[in-house]
Amino acid sequence: MSVAAVVEQPGAEVSAPELREVERFLFHEARLLDEQRWEEWSALYLDGAEYWVPATPGQPDPKNHISLIYETGLLRAVRVKRYQHPNAFSLQPKPRSAHLVGNVMLDHWDGAACVVNSRFIMLQYRREKQDVFAGAYTHRLRVERDGFRIASKRVDLINCDAPLENILIYL
Amino acid sequence: MKDYTDQQLADLVQADRVHRKLYTDPAIFDLEMERIWGRAWIYLGHESQVKAPGDYLATHIGRQPVILIRHTDGEVRVLFNRCSHKGAQLVGEGCGSAPKLRCSYHGYVFDTAGALIHIPKEEGYADTGFAKGKPEFNLRQAPRVDSYHGLIFASLAAQGPDLKTWLSGAAASIDNLVERSPEGRIEIAGGCFRYLHDSNWKMFVENLNDAMHPMVVHQSSSGTAKRVFDENLKEGDAVPFELEMLAPFTNNYDFFDKMGLTAWDYGHSVTGGEYSIHSAYSPIPGYMEALATKHGEQRAREILAVNRHNTVVYPSFTLKGAITSIRIVKPVAVNRTVIESWVFRQVGAPEELFQRSITYCNLINSHANLVGPDDYEAYHRLQQGLQTDDSNEWVSQHRYAGQDRVDEDGVKHSAGTSDMVFRHQFQTWKDYMVGSGAGAGA
Repeated sequence: MSVAAVVEQPGAEVSAPELREVERFLFHEARLLDEQRWEEWSALYLDGAEYWVPATPGQPDPKNHISLIYETGLLRAVRVKRYQHPNAFSLQPKPRSAHLVGNVMLDHWDGAACVVNSRFIMLQYRREKQDVFAGAYTHRLRVERDGFRIASKRVDLINCDAPLENILIYL
Repeated sequence: MKDYTDQQLADLVQADRVHRKLYTDPAIFDLEMERIWGRAWIYLGHESQVKAPGDYLATHIGRQPVILIRHTDGEVRVLFNRCSHKGAQLVGEGCGSAPKLRCSYHGYVFDTAGALIHIPKEEGYADTGFAKGKPEFNLRQAPRVDSYHGLIFASLAAQGPDLKTWLSGAAASIDNLVERSPEGRIEIAGGCFRYLHDSNWKMFVENLNDAMHPMVVHQSSSGTAKRVFDENLKEGDAVPFELEMLAPFTNNYDFFDKMGLTAWDYGHSVTGGEYSIHSAYSPIPGYMEALATKHGEQRAREILAVNRHNTVVYPSFTLKGAITSIRIVKPVAVNRTVIESWVFRQVGAPEELFQRSITYCNLINSHANLVGPDDYEAYHRLQQGLQTDDSNEWVSQHRYAGQDRVDEDGVKHSAGTSDMVFRHQFQTWKDYMVGSGAGAGA
C-alpha cells in the first residue's frame, strides 16, 4: 500500500516504512533537545526554516497575531547561543526536559517532502519546579541527501492561551 | 492576619527606603486590594473590544471579577460578575457576546445593564421581598466608569478625582498613542499574552521605569543578538526589526540616564520623552506620509518625535506609544501576578507597523522568549530575597535621592537611572493606604 493511499485511511499507515523513518527523525530531534545538543538540533533546520508556537488555538498566521515563539533563521541562532551565555539568569540553574513524541501520522508524503502530525508531552524541570506542556506538532520535512531536514515546525500547545510561567526550552 | 495601624503602615515607607513586608506580607496585600485597587481608576479594556450591544469582556478590578459590557443604550457598564441570587460567576474570563446574562445554575436572567429581568418560578418569591425591579437584586455595578480616548477605566470608590484629572501627565501618553493613528483611531488586535509571575505586582510596576536593569538582566539576549546579527548580516542588508528591538537593551548607563524620568500626581510616571530605546527604529514605508495627510507634515513630525518609553499609570496599566502596546497588571496574591500584554492597531497605518508591534511583543513580552523570562527571574529572586527574615528589613531607594527637580507644575524630573519613580510610587502608595485616599502622592 502506498503512503498516498494511507492518507485516505488514517490509522492504517503504520505499515509504511516511510513512517518509521519519520518517527525515528522526530525521536532524534526530541533527544537532541533533551540532551541539550542545541547546535546539532539547530542544524536539523533548513536555512530560513520557521519554528512557530502560536498563542491561540487554530491561529491562522504568525504576522498578525502574537505568538509564544515565532523564529526564523537568526533568532534561532540567538537563542541557541544564549543557552551558553554565562549571564542568562533565567537558565541558572539549567532547566532540564523530557520530550515524549507519539501518535505520529503522515498527513502528506510525496517522496521529496512530507507533513507529519504528532502529539507531544514535554516536562520541564528547573529549580524544584516541574511544568508539563502538551500538544500537537506539525512538522514539514524535506528529504535531503543525508536525511530529513525541517522546513517548518508548528507547536500547538493545548493551553497556549492560558496564564503561563516560563517556557525555557524549545518545545 | 496581622492588623496594621495607619501609623505602622506609614512607617514602612520612608524617604529613601521601604520595608520588605510591602512585597511579602499577605495582610498588606489585602489592604492594598481594598485601599489602592479599591480606590484608584483601574484600566479594564478598550472600546474596540466591546463594539456592539452585548459584547463583553470579563476581567477583574483588583480581585473583584467584573464584566465590562456594552448595553443596548450604547453605554459601557461594569457589572460585578456574580449572580445576585446565590453568587455564581455569570461568565468566564475573556471576551464574548450575549444579549442577556443568564446564570448557569438556576437560570436567573439579567439584562446588559445588570437588571434582574427573569426569575424562574417567580411565584415562589411571593411576599418574600425578593423581586425584579429592586436595585439590591440587580447585579452590582462599579460606582464609577469613564473612558479616555476609548480606554475604559473603572473605580470601586464612589468618590475621587475624575479620570482626566487623575491621569494627570500620563494622559499625554494616551493622546500620543491615538495621534499615531492616521485616522486618530486605535483598536485592540492580535491577541493577548497572559504571563504568570510568582512575585508581587509592584515588582513589575517598578521595573517598567527601572533603567538600571536592562544592561544586566538582558545582556544575554540583547548582547547575543548583537553578536549573532553582526556576524551574519552582510553589508547593505536591511537591519531586521528584531535586532533593532533587542540591541538597545544593552545601551550604556549614559544613554538611560539621559532618557530621563518624569513623575506626576497619583503615582504615574514615564521613562524617556525626547528619545528612548524605541526611537532608532527604521521608518515604516508610507507611515509618515499617511500621518502627514491627516495632521500635516509638521504635526506628524511632532507626534513621532514623542519618544516616551514606558508610561506607568499607577497601579494597573502601562503603555508604549512607539510599540502601540499596553500591559495590564493583575494582582492575584501577594506573590502571584498576571501581566497581560495587548497590542493596538493604528487604524489607517501600514500593516507593517502593526506587525512590528506584534514582533516586539513576541520577542519581549512572551513567556517563552528571550527577554521576559530574565525579568521574571529578577522578580523571583527579589521575592525570595525579601521573604527571608534577617537583619536587613529595608529595600534601598537611595539612588539620586535629594536630586529630584520639581517644576512649577509640581511635576518631578530626574536622571533616567534615578530611584525617583520608586520613591514617588511609594509616596502615592502611602497616600492611598493611610492618607486621604485621593492618592495624589507627595
